Amino acid sequence: MSRRRATISFVVVSLALVIAFGTPAISQTPKAGGTLNITQREDLPQGFAIHETSTISTVWPAMPCLNNLVLFDPLKKTESLDTIIGELAEKWSWQDSYRNLVLFLRKGVKWHDGQPFTSKDVKYTFDMLREAPDAPAKLRINPRKDWYTNVQTIEAPDPHTVIFHLKRPQPSLLMMLASGYTPVYAAHVPPANYRTACIGTGPFKLKEWRKGEFVEFVKNPDYFVKGRPYLDGLKYIVIAERGTRTAALQSGAVDVAFPGETTKTAAEQLKKAVPELAVTPYSQNVNDNIIMNMKKPPFNNAKVRLAVSRAIDRRALVQAVHQGGAVVGASMAPKPHGFWGLLDRDLNALPGYGKPADEKPRAKQLLAEAGVTPQNPLKVELVTRAIAVYVDMASFVINELKQIGIEASLKQIETAQWHATATRGDYQIGANLTGIGPDDPDANYFENYACGSPRNYSFYCDEQVMKMIEQQSQELDPKKRFAQVAALQKKLEDDAARPLLDWKLDYFVHRPFVKNLIPHQSIYNFGRMQEVWRDK
Amino acid sequence: MKSYVAQRLGIAILTLVGMSIVIFTLLRLAPGDIVDILFSTAGYVNESEKQAILKELGMDRPYWIQYLDWMRQILTGDLGKSYRYDVPAWEVIRPLVPVTIELAVLSIIVAVVLGVPTGVISAVRQDTTLDYVLRVLSLAGLSMPSFWLGMVIILGMVSWLGWIPPLTYVKPTENFRAHAIQFALPALAVGYRSSALIMRITRSSLLEVMREDYIRTAWAKGQAERVVIWHHALKNAILPVVTVIGIEFAFLIGGLVVTETVFNLPGVARFLVQAILWRDYPIVQNLVMFIAIVVILSNLFVDMLYGVLDPRVRYGG
Repeated sequence: MSRRRATISFVVVSLALVIAFGTPAISQTPKAGGTLNITQREDLPQGFAIHETSTISTVWPAMPCLNNLVLFDPLKKTESLDTIIGELAEKWSWQDSYRNLVLFLRKGVKWHDGQPFTSKDVKYTFDMLREAPDAPAKLRINPRKDWYTNVQTIEAPDPHTVIFHLKRPQPSLLMMLASGYTPVYAAHVPPANYRTACIGTGPFKLKEWRKGEFVEFVKNPDYFVKGRPYLDGLKYIVIAERGTRTAALQSGAVDVAFPGETTKTAAEQLKKAVPELAVTPYSQNVNDNIIMNMKKPPFNNAKVRLAVSRAIDRRALVQAVHQGGAVVGASMAPKPHGFWGLLDRDLNALPGYGKPADEKPRAKQLLAEAGVTPQNPLKVELVTRAIAVYVDMASFVINELKQIGIEASLKQIETAQWHATATRGDYQIGANLTGIGPDDPDANYFENYACGSPRNYSFYCDEQVMKMIEQQSQELDPKKRFAQVAALQKKLEDDAARPLLDWKLDYFVHRPFVKNLIPHQSIYNFGRMQEVWRDK
Repeated sequence: MKSYVAQRLGIAILTLVGMSIVIFTLLRLAPGDIVDILFSTAGYVNESEKQAILKELGMDRPYWIQYLDWMRQILTGDLGKSYRYDVPAWEVIRPLVPVTIELAVLSIIVAVVLGVPTGVISAVRQDTTLDYVLRVLSLAGLSMPSFWLGMVIILGMVSWLGWIPPLTYVKPTENFRAHAIQFALPALAVGYRSSALIMRITRSSLLEVMREDYIRTAWAKGQAERVVIWHHALKNAILPVVTVIGIEFAFLIGGLVVTETVFNLPGVARFLVQAILWRDYPIVQNLVMFIAIVVILSNLFVDMLYGVLDPRVRYGG
C-alpha cells in the first residue's frame, strides 16, 4: 500500500514538475514551416556577391543562400573562437603550432544547381580572395584581401580535405573564416554571376529577385543539415523609406527589422505602440571615429591630433547624437558587447576619455604647444559623408573643436565620392564610421591601422604598432593575447591614430513568434537563418 | 490635321535629341560614377581596379562614342545593360512602367472627379459658405505635399487598423482586390493635391465664362441652369482645365518619387532616383527619355483634344 502511495506521489510530483517546467520546453520545440518577411533597407548593392562588398545590405539577404567553412554559432550571442561551429567543414585541426589549418569537409553536399561541393571549391574561393598568382578567377573588387595576407598556400589533397598553410601562426584566422563575409563560392560559377544570381550550398535557394522590390528564397530540400531549415521561405522586402519600415514592423507586414537600423528612440516608440515586439540591444561592431590625414599639416603633428581627441566629450556625444544608444570604447568594441574591450579603469585613463573639465584644458595646452593660439587659430575643413548618421556626429565634433579653438567648417561628401576622398587623402580631418566583420583584432587592425592598407584612411604607419599587430596575431596564449591587444588599444589612442568616439548599438526588433534569430556582437554574422523558426 | 501631327512629331524628335544630349551631359557632369559607388560599398578605392571596371563597362571610351552608342542602342531597341544590376536595362525598366502609368492615370481620374465638379459648384455658388469651404479644402490640398499626406494615411492605417497596404507590387491578375487597395490610397493622396489645382482652374475659368454675353443670352432665353452651366459655360471653360490635366499627368509620370517611396510602389520615379544615386547611366538615360516621350505625347494629345472640344480650333498650315 505504501509502495502504491509512493508511486502515486511520484506521478503527481512528476506531473507537477512537467506542468511547472516542462510546458515552456514543449512550446520551444521548433516548428517547421512558414515564411518570414524581413526588412531590407535598400536593394542589394551587388546582388549576392558578398566577396565584392562590405555592406550589410548585401550580407544580410545573401547569407541564407551560402555557407562558410565555419560559422559563429547562430544560437549564441557571443562570437569567439569557442563559439565557432562547422558548416561546410565538419571538423578542423591546427597543426605545426597553428601554421597549418586542416579542414575536413562534409561529404554529400551539393550546390543548388546539383553539382557536388568539393575541396576544389574551397581552394578556388580562397585563392581568388587572397589573389594567389595562380588563382583561376579574379574578383573585380576585393575588399578583404588583407584578411588573407598570412596565407601562403592552400592545398586540396583530396576532395574532402583542405589545408591552409600559413606564413606564421594565426589562430584567429578561424574568426575571419567564420564571418558572414566569408562564404565559399562554387568553382564552376564565374564570380560575376553572384551579382545576379546565387548558386550556393546554403539552407535557402533563390526563388526570385525582383529588382528594387524583394528577394525571395525557398527552403533547400537537399540541405546537408537534416531537418534544417525550419522555415519554408524567406522574403526580404526592400523598403527604402524609414517611416514606412517602422509602419511595416508596427503593422506586422514584416516580421523582422533590418540589422543596424533601429535606434534606441525608434525601438522605444515601437515597443510602446506594440508591446509584444521583441527588442534586443546589441553592438553592431560599428564605431564612430575621427580620421586625420597624417600626410598633411596640421594633422601630421601628433600634438594637434591628440588635442582633437581630447577635445571630444565622448559620453556627451553618446547622449546627444545617439540618445544613449551607443557605448564609449577604444579601438575594440567595449565590454560587455565586445570580447576585447578595455576595463573601465583603463579606458578612462586614455586621452580623451576622462572628464571633459580635465580634457579640454589639456587639449588647449597641446594646441598652444603646436603654435595654435587665439591670435593664430587653426582653421580646418571637416569632411563627412552626406548621410544623417555621419552629419549628426560631425556637427557635434565641430562644436567640440570650437571649444578648444579649432574652427572647423563642415563639408559633406556624397556617398559616391566618400571612400575615394578618404582613400586618396583628399581631406584634412573627417568624421567617419567603421564597421568590422568579426569582433577580432586581426580583422580590425590589419584593415584599418596597418601601413599601406587601403582602408587606413589616416595613413597612420608606425613600426612599433605593426610589430604589436603581428605579435598579437600569432600569440597562442589567450591571456597574453588579450594583454597585447589592450596595450595596442592604448598605443593607438595615445597616438591619436584614429580617435574612437563610440560604438553604436542596434535595437534589433522582431515579432515575438520569430525564434532563434539571435543578434551577435556584429551585424554581419548572424543572417544564415538556418535555425530560425516561427512559433505560430 | 495630318500635316500638323507630322510637324509636331518632327518637333518632338528634335526635342528628344536635345533632351538626350542634355541628360547625357548632365549625368557626366555630376561628380562620381558607378565605379566610385561600387568601391564605396566595399569601403576602399583601388585606381587600377577602377580603370579595369571602367573599361569593362565601356566607360573609358570618349564621351561622343558613348553617346552615339546609346543612340544606336535606342534605334535598335536595345537599351544597353544596367551598370548596377548587370542585366539588360529593358529588363529593369519594363516592370516599372505600368506601375507608374497606372498610378498617374488613377491619380488624374481622382483629381478630375474631385476637381471639376467642385470647381463648378464653387463657381456657381460663388461667395457662399459652400464656396468658401471648397476653396479652403482646395487650398489645403495645394499646401499639403502628397508624400506627407501619404505618410499620414499610412500611419493612420497602422495606428487605427493595425494594417498597411501591400509592400510589394500585387498584379491585378494575382489579386485584384489587393491590387486595387494598393493603388487606391496613393492615388487618393496624389489625386487630392492635383484636384485642388484643377478645382481652382475650373472655378476661375468658369467664372470668366459665366460673365460672357452668350451665357447672359442663354439665361435670358430661360434655359435651365443645368443646360447653361454644363452645356454652354463648362464646354468653353474646360480648355484651360484640359491643359492643366495634361501638364499634371506629364508631371506625375516622373514626379511621384516620394509617393512611390512612401507607399513602397516599384515605379519609374522611385527607381530613377536610385539609379541617379548609383550613376547607373543606362537606366537613368532611358528612364528620362521615357518620361520625355510621355510628356511630349501627352502635350500632343491635349493639343489634339482642343480641336474636339472647341470647333474654332483648326490645325494645319
